[in-house]
Amino acid sequence: MALPVLICDDSILARKQVRKSLPETFDAEFKTAGNGIEALQVLRTQEIGLVFLDLTMPELDGIGVLEAIKAESIDCFVIVISADIQPEMQRRVMELGALAFIQKPVSEEKIAGVLKQYGLV
Amino acid sequence: MTNLGFTVEQKDCLQEIINVAMGLASDKLARFLNTFVHLQVPSIALVGANHIPAEFSGRYADTEAALVSQGFFGDEGVRGEAIVLYKMDNAHRIAELLGYEPGDSSEIEMLTDISSVLTTTFLNGLAQQIENSLSYSAPRILSSRHGNLSDVLQSTSFHWEHALKVDISYQLVDHSFNCDMILLIPDVAVSRIKVILDRILEEF
Repeated sequence: MALPVLICDDSILARKQVRKSLPETFDAEFKTAGNGIEALQVLRTQEIGLVFLDLTMPELDGIGVLEAIKAESIDCFVIVISADIQPEMQRRVMELGALAFIQKPVSEEKIAGVLKQYGLV
Repeated sequence: MTNLGFTVEQKDCLQEIINVAMGLASDKLARFLNTFVHLQVPSIALVGANHIPAEFSGRYADTEAALVSQGFFGDEGVRGEAIVLYKMDNAHRIAELLGYEPGDSSEIEMLTDISSVLTTTFLNGLAQQIENSLSYSAPRILSSRHGNLSDVLQSTSFHWEHALKVDISYQLVDHSFNCDMILLIPDVAVSRIKVILDRILEEF
């Protein structure tokens, strides 16, 4: 069965880069969000198995989304894909329950490694 | 504000490339300042270089300001001048944070260091994504103490056709630190960048 996946990034290019970097064997049904508010609207109303989440976004950033997911016990895996690579930020993201941190720009190799590690492909 | 013919897709693509380059530069800056910086999405705009003095003279009018300017040169006509603008009251606070000795010369030295970290890391990140490689000239620093900042900007931007403005705002843990980065680039570089953006867009 296709996995419901949410790609959240304010950049259209970045969202396409995520799609393009996923392996062909990855059976998913994709939803997109352009900022954290939009992401939470989707997460609160629909079953989402996996979120690819950007951090630096307008309206509500990725940290805000992670905090809400934690506070509201929303059941989903989150893989953060960010250009903000400060060690402190990576630590914070992992503490908030993200599965993995991927440095932008995303690539097939980077995503494949994480998906394999967690048995998502 | 004119966008000098970037399509919506080209602008989105350039914005993302700049975000990634900014991320690299901020990480370097955070390590340099030994602190955590809260990143915001930098706003970018491409304007005529002749608009630059007017646009920035207001923002830096009531305060002592400094700019650090550095030339860059790459393949296929990609070249330009990268300028980082600072308010000096900001700089005094950062100097304190970094433990620089009070006094002009060391603050100037600090601004040159910070600019160098920001500019070269940012531009290298940019160049890598557009598959170019850049070299740099030595940075020069100009303070508004030695003349009106808009005059200084006037003379610096005079030879250029376009300016890519990148507004950078860092919130440090206990301080805030704002600066503006301006990339002055010629026509040929803008055309080149558009071609590259289209090529990237085609891939997706």
